[in-house]
Amino acid sequence: MRRLLLSLSITSCLAACSSIDCPVQNKVSVNYSVCQYDNGKEVADTLTDTLYIWTRRKDGTDTLLLNRGVNTRSFTLPVSYSHPEDVLIFATTNTNNDMTLDTVWINKEDIPHFESVDCGARYFHNLTAVRSTHSAIDTIIINNPSVTYDETADHLHIHFKTSR
Amino acid sequence: MTRQPTIFTSISRLLVSLLFLAVATSAAQAQSFWKFQSDSIPFFRGFAVSADLVGLAQMQLSDYGQYEAALRLNLHDQYFPIVEVGIGRANHQKDEVTGISYKTSAPYFRVGVDVNIMKNKHAPNRIFAGLRYGYTSYKVDVDREPFPDPTWQWDVFYGVKDEPCSQQWAEILFGIDAKIMGPLHLGWSARYRNRLSHKDGRMEKTWYVPGYGIQDTSSLGVTFNVIIDI
Repeated sequence: MRRLLLSLSITSCLAACSSIDCPVQNKVSVNYSVCQYDNGKEVADTLTDTLYIWTRRKDGTDTLLLNRGVNTRSFTLPVSYSHPEDVLIFATTNTNNDMTLDTVWINKEDIPHFESVDCGARYFHNLTAVRSTHSAIDTIIINNPSVTYDETADHLHIHFKTSR
Repeated sequence: MTRQPTIFTSISRLLVSLLFLAVATSAAQAQSFWKFQSDSIPFFRGFAVSADLVGLAQMQLSDYGQYEAALRLNLHDQYFPIVEVGIGRANHQKDEVTGISYKTSAPYFRVGVDVNIMKNKHAPNRIFAGLRYGYTSYKVDVDREPFPDPTWQWDVFYGVKDEPCSQQWAEILFGIDAKIMGPLHLGWSARYRNRLSHKDGRMEKTWYVPGYGIQDTSSLGVTFNVIIDI
C-alpha cells in the first residue's frame, strides 16, 4: 500500500506539470511561384526583371514587402489578419531601368485560429479570388487556397509577360 | 508542421506503460478475476457517493477546474458501476503574454466501471482498475483586445463567442480506496485519458475542456475522492 501511495504521489506531481506547446512554425503567409506555360503545361519560371512589392498601410504610407527580388522563382508575402481584400503593388524593373507597375487584389476569408491561451492570436485564410492589372503580369491564379502554418504550401502561381 | 514530443509526453507514455503493467500484474495475480467469488456475501452491497477534491482545488487555485460528484454501485465488493457528473469551468482573463481570454462553463459526465483487483474482495481497503467513457458539450468564448495588424496596421478584432464544441473521451484508471471510519472512505485514482472524437468549432482548437482538462496536456490526471457508503 505504501508503494502504491508513493506511485500515486509521483503521478500526481507529474500530472501537475504544465507545458507550453505552441507550434514552432507559426508564421502565416502566402507563397507565390513564378510560372509559365510550356505547351499548355504550367512549369516553373524565373523572373529576370528586378521585383519590388509594396502595399499601403492604414495611415496611407507605403510599406515595402519585397525589395530588389532578382532572378525570382518564388517569394513569400504577408497576408492581412482580418481585412477582406489585400491590395499589393508589383513593380518590375528591366535592365534599362524601365519600371512597370501592376496592382494585385487578393480576396480572402479570414478564420481566427486558436492554439492555446499561451500562443499568440493568429488568423488562417481561405483565398477566394485574385485579380491584377496586366502591364507586366500576364495571369495570377490560385493553386492552393488554404493559408495556414504550412510553409510549404504553393498558394499562388504568377505568370509574367515574356516580352517587357 | 510536425510537433516534437515534449518531455511531458514521454513521461506520460512511460507512466501509462507502468500503469498497464501494474494492472496486468495485479490481474494475473488475482484469482478468478472476472468471476464473482462464491461466498455468503450478498450480490448487491449498496451505493456510495463521492466528491472529487482535486478539481475543487484546481478551481480555487487556478483559472480552471471542475466540481464533480459520483454515484457508485457496489456489486459483491468486486464490480463498481459508476456515474461521475460535474461542471467544468475556465475563466482565463487576459493572458499576461498573449492577452487572450478564454471562458467556458459546461456540464459533463463519465460512465464506467471499477473492478476490485484485490485477492480478498471483502477487505476494507480496495485496489481498483477501471474504465470510463466521458462526454461534454460546451461553448467557448475566446477574445483579445483589438490589436494592430503587423503590416497594414488596421485594427484586428480577434475571437469567437459561444462557439459550440463537444468532445468524447475514454479513460483507463488505477486507484485505491481506503476505509477511514464508518461509511467514510478516501480514494485516489490516476487516470490516462484519450480523446475519441472532438469538435472544436471555427478556431479548430480549444483550451480547457470540461471534465477532461487542458487539451494538449491532460492525458494524465488524478482524482482524490471523499466517499461515503450509503
